[in-house]
Amino acid sequence: MIKINNLDFAYKNTQVFKNISLEFQKGNIYGLLGENGVGKTTLLKLICGLQKPQHGSVTVDGLTPSMRQPEFLQNVYFLPEEVITEDTTPEKFIQKIGCFYPRYDFGLFNKLMGELEVDLSKKFNELSHGQKKKALLACAMSLQTDYLFLDEPTNGLDIPSKALFRKVISQYCSDETTVIISTHQVKDVENLIDPIVILDRDDVLMNANFAEITDKIYFEYGPERLQNAYYTEMLPGGYINVMPNDEHLESNVNIEALFNAVMKNKETIKNLMK
Amino acid sequence: MNNTFNINRFGKILKHDGLNFFPNIILALAILWAIPVVVYLFTSLMPSDGTKDILDAFGRISVIDTLAKIALIIAPVRLYKYCNDSRKGIVYAMLPASTLEKFLSMVIYCVIVTPIIYIAGALAIDSILALFNGPYDGFAVSVYFDRYAQINYAFDYQDAKMLLDDTWPIFVNSLSPSFLTILSILGTLTLSAIFMFGNMIFKKHKTGKMIGILILLAIIIMIIFVNYVANNEALTEYFKQIDEDNVTEFIERMIFIWMNVALYTEIIVSALMLFGVYRKIKTQKY
Repeated sequence: MIKINNLDFAYKNTQVFKNISLEFQKGNIYGLLGENGVGKTTLLKLICGLQKPQHGSVTVDGLTPSMRQPEFLQNVYFLPEEVITEDTTPEKFIQKIGCFYPRYDFGLFNKLMGELEVDLSKKFNELSHGQKKKALLACAMSLQTDYLFLDEPTNGLDIPSKALFRKVISQYCSDETTVIISTHQVKDVENLIDPIVILDRDDVLMNANFAEITDKIYFEYGPERLQNAYYTEMLPGGYINVMPNDEHLESNVNIEALFNAVMKNKETIKNLMK
Repeated sequence: MNNTFNINRFGKILKHDGLNFFPNIILALAILWAIPVVVYLFTSLMPSDGTKDILDAFGRISVIDTLAKIALIIAPVRLYKYCNDSRKGIVYAMLPASTLEKFLSMVIYCVIVTPIIYIAGALAIDSILALFNGPYDGFAVSVYFDRYAQINYAFDYQDAKMLLDDTWPIFVNSLSPSFLTILSILGTLTLSAIFMFGNMIFKKHKTGKMIGILILLAIIIMIIFVNYVANNEALTEYFKQIDEDNVTEFIERMIFIWMNVALYTEIIVSALMLFGVYRKIKTQKY
């Protein structure tokens, strides 16, 4: 489990987090959402130990990430947004780092490379941006770490690749694996993520699973714009209204509408979800 | 789990860094290996005055040693250039090995493996060239480990001999082969440690910036030293008393002081720089 307690973090004069507390339970695929610059990547880096909190604590299964102990590092993998790789093939790359990870499976790597349709013989710098991302995803998943952190993993992927990405993540992540996907392209990870964490500047606006969300928020698809809705958006054939679920009606979460509703009613929804 | 040092994990990081070693440094070493070959060809093809030029083994050793020092200077940047890069360094930082294991592996490749491979290659090339009837006189490898003979050779110039004629036996006798070996190893370690530290603290132009800092430091130390000597009455008085009768004693004393200063400076500088490298590996933010 990842526990973040009273975390303060700033880059020089820019405050990113102020006294935030958050928990990530094991075995879930979390969606870490937020506008550009709210600190999604920074939060992932703090959880990976690539940054150190100024105040408060971050622990992963009781270990402090910033100490970068092998016991911690062998159970986490961070795939950054920017794809920077060595002048080597994905196969050589994974063989070089795979031996450090106790559950690394080269067979799984080959299988994933096949499923993601990446050319095994090409070097990273001969692959397109999307192909590099898929190759690195195959590398990351073949390590079979307990925690997998993906920063904007669908950026640069074409539509079929996005579908492959969702398939691979849902198919090959074990029940013990915790995945945190940081993204602002919520549609790419729809039907994949649950729970959702929504970050704001200095704050966490929401950390809830779909059941908790639909228990308190109702997503109504209808012909008209409703007055008491937190957020309304016109869709082909009608409107989606995000509203308080006073009558405990069942509905399906529309992540994009939810995100916009939270952004427009920060304090109201934050208090509602407490 | 031992999070400080584990021999299996250390083997893995050594293997990981070893796989990066040749692709990253071989071109630089090849250029350094080529320099003595170019000198050989130049001397063979262009005799200065119609007679055959001779390049003796000791002279070639000093060239190989100088180039080995260049290899030491560039090794950290060639091998670990991106380990403090906020984007490219993430893979290295996230490798499941302890700071100590990563640090030791870095030291082994920068301080030991690089010079050994360079010198072994350079001596092998030298031996091949010495087989031909060219300007090479003798095999450098046959006298490479005889530091004592090399010092004798280095001072075997007329000016040095005149100055040190009386002192020379005292000087030579005061230097045991083991002391020379220690001094040589410490010199290698210090040079490498300085540039390893530079590699960790600078993001760009790492070697150039470190050389700049060293030149600046040398100038500052020289200014302080000259000022100190010039304003120290006791020293000025002492220098005035030096004449033909006691110059031997003076030189002997200066050499003794110099050797001790060199020894302790190298120990302190190496320790500080290596500690700095360790701390940077441990605390580098990305």
